[in-house]
Amino acid sequence: MTALRLKDVSVSLNGQMMFAPLTLSAEPGVVTSVIGPSGAGKSSLLAHLAGALPEELCAHGEVRLGEQRLDDLPPEERRLGILFQDDLLFPHLSVAGNLAFGMHRRSEGRSDRRRAIAEALESVGLAGFEARDPATLSGGQRSRVALLRVLLSEPRALLLDEPFGRLDTETRADTRRWVFDEVRRRCLPTVLVTHDQDDVTAAAGPVVKLQPGVKA
Amino acid sequence: MKAVALTILLAVSGIPILAGVGITLVEAADPAAWSTLLHFPGIGRSVALSVWTGAAGTVLALVLAHLTVALAGTSTWARRVEALALPVIALPHLALGIGLALLLSPSGLLLRALSPWATGLHRPPDWLLVQDPLGLSLVLGLAVKEAPFLILMLVGARAQVPVTRLMLQSRSLGYGRLKAWWVSVAPLLQRQIRLPLAAAIVFGVTNVEMAIPLGPVSPPPFAVVLWQWFTTSRLELRGAAFAGSILLVVVAIGTLAVAMSALRLARRVHSHYAASGRRGRSSTSIARTLAILPGLVLALASGAVAALVCRGLSPMWRFPAVLPEAIDASLIERSAPSLGAALGTTLALGGITVVLAVGLSLWVAESLSRDSLWRRRVGVVLFAPLLLPQMAFLFGFQWLVVRLGIDGTWWAVGWEHALFALPYAWGIVAGARSALDSRLVVTARTLGAGLLRAWWAVVVPLLSRSVLLAGAIAFSVSVALYLPTLFAGAGRVATVATEAASAASSGNLRVAAVHGAAQAIAPLIALGVAMLTGQSLFRNRQGVPR
Repeated sequence: MTALRLKDVSVSLNGQMMFAPLTLSAEPGVVTSVIGPSGAGKSSLLAHLAGALPEELCAHGEVRLGEQRLDDLPPEERRLGILFQDDLLFPHLSVAGNLAFGMHRRSEGRSDRRRAIAEALESVGLAGFEARDPATLSGGQRSRVALLRVLLSEPRALLLDEPFGRLDTETRADTRRWVFDEVRRRCLPTVLVTHDQDDVTAAAGPVVKLQPGVKA
Repeated sequence: MKAVALTILLAVSGIPILAGVGITLVEAADPAAWSTLLHFPGIGRSVALSVWTGAAGTVLALVLAHLTVALAGTSTWARRVEALALPVIALPHLALGIGLALLLSPSGLLLRALSPWATGLHRPPDWLLVQDPLGLSLVLGLAVKEAPFLILMLVGARAQVPVTRLMLQSRSLGYGRLKAWWVSVAPLLQRQIRLPLAAAIVFGVTNVEMAIPLGPVSPPPFAVVLWQWFTTSRLELRGAAFAGSILLVVVAIGTLAVAMSALRLARRVHSHYAASGRRGRSSTSIARTLAILPGLVLALASGAVAALVCRGLSPMWRFPAVLPEAIDASLIERSAPSLGAALGTTLALGGITVVLAVGLSLWVAESLSRDSLWRRRVGVVLFAPLLLPQMAFLFGFQWLVVRLGIDGTWWAVGWEHALFALPYAWGIVAGARSALDSRLVVTARTLGAGLLRAWWAVVVPLLSRSVLLAGAIAFSVSVALYLPTLFAGAGRVATVATEAASAASSGNLRVAAVHGAAQAIAPLIALGVAMLTGQSLFRNRQGVPR
């Protein structure tokens, strides 16, 4: 895995920069935390990295993964996984359908894919959950399925948009530890935006604070 | 892409209206036409009838709608109200009007059910129960038809009003349930439905669909007079008809203005009443009594459909038998030989309308999914055909399709139908699309799905129930349209609506009943299919939006 590099990246609305140009390098296997008060543009920054910036917002600077320039690629070709505060499981698909959605359709056949899904579910204590309706899962279970879905899509980097905010205290610590372990095990460059100090402490990586923007 | 989608949508809807109104204005600029119009015998009474029936029918409908939503909102049957209102909304005005005439006339289903045991009647009395000179039966018909529409709008408006918190607040201040609703929730709901209410008033004042079977005949309401002039072979009345269209617009706007100031006055009185602080008694028994009224609306609508079917199916139906002696389907063919062809055309046009209206709505809603400003603007423009009297632009549209060389074709009629179905289809589809969490699409994209797959595999399934409902409503609108079909089809496209109307206007209620029954049942079937399919899709997925 190679690092996700931002050079002078900012987002502006009607000519007004939401935050001062940001330069950072998110190294593989390390969780880089970006903090700032609400409204500072944290979510817009991640939306820009994912390639899903709303039309009215304008992006500046360069985003690279290794040597590849990402800015002008459509989201599906960037291959960055993103996790939001809500799990955003597709409500019309089963748990297995959600996991299969992001899997690549290379050579492996249907049975291989099914086995991969079963193994993934088993690894998070959800063995046999394939046919379940996502709406019937608990919050912790849903966030585990959401992360599995991202990981099975084999992303090259991970973007976390306050992904633990909606979980209760107990589940939050568990889920957080498990997500960060996966990041390290898979050597994924990871950017976490949050305003929760506990997230930053647990991430144990570099911390970047968004500075207020100026007129562009 | 956004610009293209917007242009096409606005062209479909805007061009016919602009061209239509323009032509009407040009044709009406003739002093002789105005003189013919204003000196026509009985014209003043016709105009007064239109204003009175349209206004009274809508006011009655509004009161009924508020009452129903208040009763539903303060009890557990809120969900069912919507399910019961939809079929009546899908019922065409024309079919309901013919059905009500067959239900309420002296030889109608209602008197049969009461005779001779309660009334002592053995033959139909010569009472003037429908088409009465004061237009009371027309007022009743409009109220029955518009109340469910306003109910649905009020139910939809609940999403914009913090109903639960308002109710809790008022009830903890000591108000009874019904009174609490009446002083705290109802005024806020009312503010949300001004546009649909305006459309209901304009339709009430300017419609012919219900005025033909139920309205007075000599003189008839003003819109019916204009319709007679537009369809007569006496060409000298054409100019007067265009001048009359302008007068109809003025009358409609005037009625609207008076109605809106009356509403403002009502709001003042209401706030005095609310501020009086009287808490009212426990309202359970009152609620139970009042619940009869919405039930009555439903009973009248169902009775009308039953009367249509009975009358349509049987040649022999002696008074006071409640059911026809013999039901003979082969007689339908003899009395209404054109039914098969008309029904075929109706279904095909309905299909074209669904594809055009729902397809366009889906496309534009997708490209405007993150642009709430333009979504609102499009909604207002698409709503215009419902706020304008049809008479004011339909003839101009006919002129346009003649110039385009497509008059009398299904293309022209389909375009016209789409124009009237679009506001409903857009309302349902665009509303559902904007309620969809845009991050679901972002998630699908980052998981590797292209634009098309993200739409097809995520957006479409999640909108499927709304799309089905929008389709059923668009179909019902198409089946119901009479004047637009008549004008754009240049009289050569025969649907069950045009056949039923011409039979009803010539007083042949039996043939009118055959076509009216078909016209009533087709939308009901479409709605039933849409609802059942919607329920069975994603049955085991609780998170899919209703």
